[in-house]
Parts: sequence; C-alpha cells; structure tokens
Amino acid sequence: MLTITILVVLVFIAVYAVSLYNTLRTLKVRIKASAQEIGNQLKRQTELIPNLVESAKGYMKHEKDVFKMLTDARKQVVGALKSNDLNEMVKASESIASALPKIQATFESNPEIKATVVVQELMQNLRDTSDKVSYSRRLLIDLSADYNTKIVTFPGNIVAGMLGFNEEKGLVAPESGEHIEVNKEEVKTPKVEL
Amino acid sequence: MSEIVNFYERRGENMVKTAFLMVGFVGLFAVFGYFIGYLYPEATYVLPFAFIFSLGFSFVSYYYSDKIVLGISKATPANKKDHFEFYTVVENIALGTGMPMPKLYVIKDSSPNAFATGRGKKHATVVATIGLLRKLNRSELEGVMAHEMAHVGNNDMLLMTVVAVLVGTIVMVMDWFWRIRIYGGGARDKKESGAIFIVLALVIAILTPLIAQIVKFAVSRQREFLADATAVKYTRNPNGLIGALKKISSSREPLEVANKATAHLYFENPLDNISGSASVGKFKNLFSTHPPVSERILRLEQM
Repeated sequence: MLTITILVVLVFIAVYAVSLYNTLRTLKVRIKASAQEIGNQLKRQTELIPNLVESAKGYMKHEKDVFKMLTDARKQVVGALKSNDLNEMVKASESIASALPKIQATFESNPEIKATVVVQELMQNLRDTSDKVSYSRRLLIDLSADYNTKIVTFPGNIVAGMLGFNEEKGLVAPESGEHIEVNKEEVKTPKVEL
Repeated sequence: MSEIVNFYERRGENMVKTAFLMVGFVGLFAVFGYFIGYLYPEATYVLPFAFIFSLGFSFVSYYYSDKIVLGISKATPANKKDHFEFYTVVENIALGTGMPMPKLYVIKDSSPNAFATGRGKKHATVVATIGLLRKLNRSELEGVMAHEMAHVGNNDMLLMTVVAVLVGTIVMVMDWFWRIRIYGGGARDKKESGAIFIVLALVIAILTPLIAQIVKFAVSRQREFLADATAVKYTRNPNGLIGALKKISSSREPLEVANKATAHLYFENPLDNISGSASVGKFKNLFSTHPPVSERILRLEQM
C-alpha cells in the first residue's frame, strides 16, 4: 500500500516537473519570437515612412503651385478694392483673367480632385504592400516559434536531436540593441514647449 | 496596478474553459439520457432517434452553412476593385496565418457588423455590412476581420454545430416528453421507494434543456473571447479591435437582416439594438451569444 502511494506521488511530481520544464522552454521561445516581431515592425516602418513622405511632398507641390497663383490673384483684388482706384481694379481683373487659364491648365492636366485620388491610392497601396510583407514575416516568426517550441519541450526534445531537427532562426533580428533597451535620457519626462 | 494577460495566456485559458464546458455538457447529456431511460425504459429508441435526427439536420446546415446564411442575409459578392480596403485587409491576414483567402460578401445595411461562416478554412466566407466598411478605418477593419478569420481558424462553426446537435437532441426528447408522455401517462409502475428518485429524474429531465441552452451560450461567449485573443495574435495590434468595438457598440442602429438564428455569428450582438429583445441585467448575459463589449475591451487592453 505504501509503495503504491509513493509511486503515485512520484508520478505526480514527475508530471509536474515535465510540465514546468515545457512551460519554461515554451516561454523562452515566445520571448525570442516577440523580439523578432519588434524587428518586423521596425523594418516595416523603415520601408514605409520615407515613401509616404515622398508621396505627400508630391501632392503638396501641386497644391503649392495652385495655391500660390490663387493667393497672388486674391492679394491683387484686395489691394485694388482698398485703393478704390478704378485703374487698379482693371489691372487686378486683367491679372486674374491671365492667371485663370494657367490655373485651369493646372487643374486640367492635374485636376486637384484627380491628384488627391491618385496620391491617396498610391499611399493606400504603399501601406498595403508594406503590410503584406510584414504579415509574411509574422508567419515566418510564428511558424518558427511553434516549431522551436516542439523541439525543445518534452517529448519532442528527445527525438529532435537524433533525427536532425534543429532550431529554426525565424526572422533574424538583433536580440540586443537600442530597440529593446531604454537609456537614461529616454526615461526622463519630456518637456513640451509649444 | 492593472493586470497584464497576453494573448497566448488568454487563448490557453479560453481553450481550457471550452474543454471543461464540452466535457461537462457531454456528462450532462449522459445523465439526462440515463434518467430518461429510467423514467421510460420502454421508449429507449427515443433518445437515439432524436440524436440521429438532430445530427442529420445539423450536418446539413453545417455543410451548406455558407449558402444558407448568405441567402438569409441578402449578401452580394465583393471584389478587390470596389472594396480595396476590405479585400486587402482579409488578404493580408490570410497571408500572415497561412489560411486560404476566404470568399468576401457585402450586406447593404448601414448598421456596422460582420460575420464569418462556412465549413472549415477551405470554404470560409466573410461578410461585412456597408456600414462597417464606411465607419471603420483600416486598422479597425483589420481587427474585425482578424476576429472573423479567428473564428475560421479555430473551427468555431464545427464546435457550435456539435453543441447544436446535443442541444437539439435534448430539446427534441423533451418535446416528445411533454407532448406524448405527460398526457399519455407518466412515469408510473415504479415502486414507492423509488418515488423520490422519480421526482429527481423528472426535475433533471425538465431542467436539462434549460441548462443545455445556458451551456450553449457559455460556449459561444468563450469562443468570442478566444476569437478576440486570436485576432491579436494575428495582427499584434489590440488597439484596432478596441477602436472597432467602441464604434460598433455605440451604433444604435438595428441590423435588419439579423435574427435569432444568425445572431451568434455576428461580430457584435446584432439583437442588442432591436427593441423588445431586452432582458434585464445578469439574466441577459447568461443567455447572450456575445460577452458584454465592456468586458471584451477590458481584456484587449490587458494584452
């Protein structure tokens, strides 16, 4: 009777120990995967942001030209009205008349609505493309983590080495470095001066 | 200090809870079967018959689930050209999880909601309302679509069908019990010493359908939590889903094509906004297919 009790207790301890070992190894794999995911997101940022900024600049350039023409024309009209001088008013209306075809040409060759839609589509596509690569990397990270978990936990770890199943690298990302460290300067509360 | 429970832990917790519920349910089913058999030993054919009928019915509805639900919901197919954001969001999640691209449909309703159906990953269908596509930004749409794909990935249609078979069997047996046995003569011919046992058997027989329904709703709610946690695993971005939940739950508009039969499929309980369907307080939560939005948001913020 006593032997059986001792055996049962030993079995429980063994099961608990194995389960604990497996949990610890699994958590280790997940920690590595989470560092790789940080790398994934940072890479997406690096690839996407400059392209978005360039598209925005392109859009603003169109805006700038039209905006400048309209501002100049408006200044002239305001000036003319203030001066109450008929001549000035005639000159102002003439300059508007000459500016209008230029504005019209800008609109026609690149109508504001069209430019917005085209740039919007471009930005959408840029984001979508970088999302796609990011998701693909995530699949790589997750599958590698799942595989690595299986080969380091019991009972997989017993056969893995024998049958030549070695660790998968996943998304190779630096496991130490600025991106997972916080330095002294960064922990200070920033002062906002508007 | 607020707790942090990451999505790995939530997923593990939800899967364990589902397992407990299912084991408990099968146990309840067995006890029910035993007591019915005790009360009506001459009618042992009833339970197996009800089971087979329920199985057949549920199997057909599972197999044709996508066609049936699409028919009821008046959905139209969506393509990449007309719905770029919708299409590419789902495409990306499929890419990130290794699942095949599901079929996409749109419902012309301004109430924001979405659901997924279909028997397994290869026949998955995801549906969104026009209202949802208009109201959410891309990150929020990602959250909702990841939640729907999570239902596909976690095989929730299959699980709920299994639950439906068990509930259906119990309900059918009880239907038989009330219609035929109560009027045609009750549990008689038992010795007096077994009277208490008979009463107990009757009580269990009557309570079981109620308990079965409660278990069904509990399983549904666990799977909703699991889908939320899995969605975060797919996107690594809880904020999208949180934003979507806030926007969708604040919409007071009822979803016209939803009814009790399809309610459990939707992202947020579409019956919330239909007047007359209100139940009070805790009672409402017990019989609800979806957990309360506030609880869902709380768990997402912990991730």
